[in-house]
Amino acid sequence: MSKISVIIPTHNRPHLLPRAVESARAAGSDVEIIVVDDASIDETADVCRGLEGIKYVRLERNQGVAGARNVGIFVSTGEYVAFLDDDDLRLPGSLDRQAALLDANPDAGFVCGAMIMADQNYQPTAELIQPKRAGGDVFWELLELAFPVMPLCTLIRKECFLRIGLLNRHICSIDDWDIFTRIAELYPVVVMPEPVGLYRQPTPDSGQGSSARAAQLLRVARHQRNLFRLPRVVAATKVERRAARKRMVNRISENLIWTAAAKHLPSFKVKAAIANVLVALRLDPISIVRPGAYEKLAKNLILRTGLIER
Amino acid sequence: MPNVSVIIATRNRPDLLPKAINSARRAGRDVEIIVVDDASSDETVAVCKSIADIKYVRVDRNQQVAGARNIGLVASSGDYITFLDDDDLRLPGSLDEQIEALERTPDAAFVYGQAIPETENGERGEPFPMLCPQGDIFWPLLARNFIPCGSVVVRRSALIAIGLLDDAIPGIDDWDLWVRVTEIFPTAAVQYPVIVWRQSFPDSVQGSSNTVDVIAKASRHFRRAFTKLPRFAAASRVQQRRAWQEFSKHVAEHLAWNIFSELRQGGFSRAFRSARTLWLLHPIGLWFVCRRWMNLRTVKALIRSAATQRDLADAKTNFKKLRSNLDEDEDRSLQKSF
Repeated sequence: MSKISVIIPTHNRPHLLPRAVESARAAGSDVEIIVVDDASIDETADVCRGLEGIKYVRLERNQGVAGARNVGIFVSTGEYVAFLDDDDLRLPGSLDRQAALLDANPDAGFVCGAMIMADQNYQPTAELIQPKRAGGDVFWELLELAFPVMPLCTLIRKECFLRIGLLNRHICSIDDWDIFTRIAELYPVVVMPEPVGLYRQPTPDSGQGSSARAAQLLRVARHQRNLFRLPRVVAATKVERRAARKRMVNRISENLIWTAAAKHLPSFKVKAAIANVLVALRLDPISIVRPGAYEKLAKNLILRTGLIER
Repeated sequence: MPNVSVIIATRNRPDLLPKAINSARRAGRDVEIIVVDDASSDETVAVCKSIADIKYVRVDRNQQVAGARNIGLVASSGDYITFLDDDDLRLPGSLDEQIEALERTPDAAFVYGQAIPETENGERGEPFPMLCPQGDIFWPLLARNFIPCGSVVVRRSALIAIGLLDDAIPGIDDWDLWVRVTEIFPTAAVQYPVIVWRQSFPDSVQGSSNTVDVIAKASRHFRRAFTKLPRFAAASRVQQRRAWQEFSKHVAEHLAWNIFSELRQGGFSRAFRSARTLWLLHPIGLWFVCRRWMNLRTVKALIRSAATQRDLADAKTNFKKLRSNLDEDEDRSLQKSF
């Protein structure tokens, strides 16, 4: 029985998968690698048969990422669980370091590290995304979307799933935010500043990707209402709840307007920009006149024109 | 490693739980009992702590039955898995017999059997379902859920292949799971009772209004999820239409029966709700029902049961018996015509 289970859901990406599996193997000394093949219709099965020392699980019907991760949890035997996407990489030794942190903090639900952004060819860019908060009780920060946690950077105690339930299969692409928030409601979180994973960014010129972001943030805003049924939120005062909701909605709409103005419009992605602004208006009609988004934009423009030094 | 894991999801029923656990223990030789306590707020914790040799999993945030069963699956380690409700009972030795039957048919994903309904005063009714079809039961199962959830012993590998239970559809999550399994795998069955179903009559009023909700949910789920299953999508239009007709006929009958029993109890608003659901789901459903009920035998039996009945439940079982006879007749006539 291994200590750490790494769950890699995959769907029709046999060319990327072996690299992810190798990185997981190098990331820890006592690792069980579970590849959940989410009903791929290509040679993924053959590629996996060629990989040694992995647990290969084939789903006959597509379950989505969250459903595949749940099946991965179902077959896993480790005390700790890590999720890895088939196009991302784990850094060498990172799982062992995170497991040591969880060992040292027996109360903690999960440990969250930093991640390196990389381009399509796994070449690291200068961008390093670090946890924005110190550890401890980060429930409200997670709920307000002030503490983005990527599944790639985390190692989760499996016992958490037994106490709060598995991943929600019905909230496409925000199931990770949902589960981390639900874990943080009951458990403190440990944070480490060192990078633990390499995130391969999706194709920059896929216009679909950028308007999908607006839809995702809209789903986040809607799903927050469901998370407001958690006992800790119910126990909070009405003022606190309203403030949390407001902070989150402001944050989302500012982010959307800022991306529309600074990223979509300069590259003539008018459709994505309009989608962003529409979602922002829908969530928060006065966001368009609030200075928050423009502050960031102005700062960025000034930086670009070189009027002030970085 | 234990042979079979019995997953008992429970919530605020410490009085019934120990009986269920004991019955599960006597049902097989190598049994792992997993009690998933779905955020109970009473003495369930203390009761479970006092029982030896069970795996007690405490869920702190209410997950509903399907979510709790999924958690039980994660905590389980047996090659075979069965779900038991906290108010139901397993019959002695039944698990071992069912596993034997399953091992005789290596292709089958699960084996199921009959359930005996039992009222609060201990009166036992006719076992359900009357006949347990085996092999490929995908199409009949789409028409109605005739599999008592507690009677199923399923292979772990089958659950891995099709995914866990869907926790967004409380009330029909088991039906959804069996349909997804039978879409790919054949099944086995034993033709005798393996569990006892406790029916709680005091809240039958609430129960019947629940029925309406569950039926509405089921028909939504049929249209949204089952029609998208690859096997359904690949079938001929005739077959697809027939599956939907079978399902809606069954549902219409159920709702019509609901209207009837509500009217007798004087629940006019609830009867109206059933009628409305029936109208929305299946506008010509009443025609189907009438055509079937206008059968001379049905009317006779209804009158007979109404004249001598002590209880509505009697009439219902009579009716069910009759319906299954009719079903058989229909099947036979169909076979003749082919």
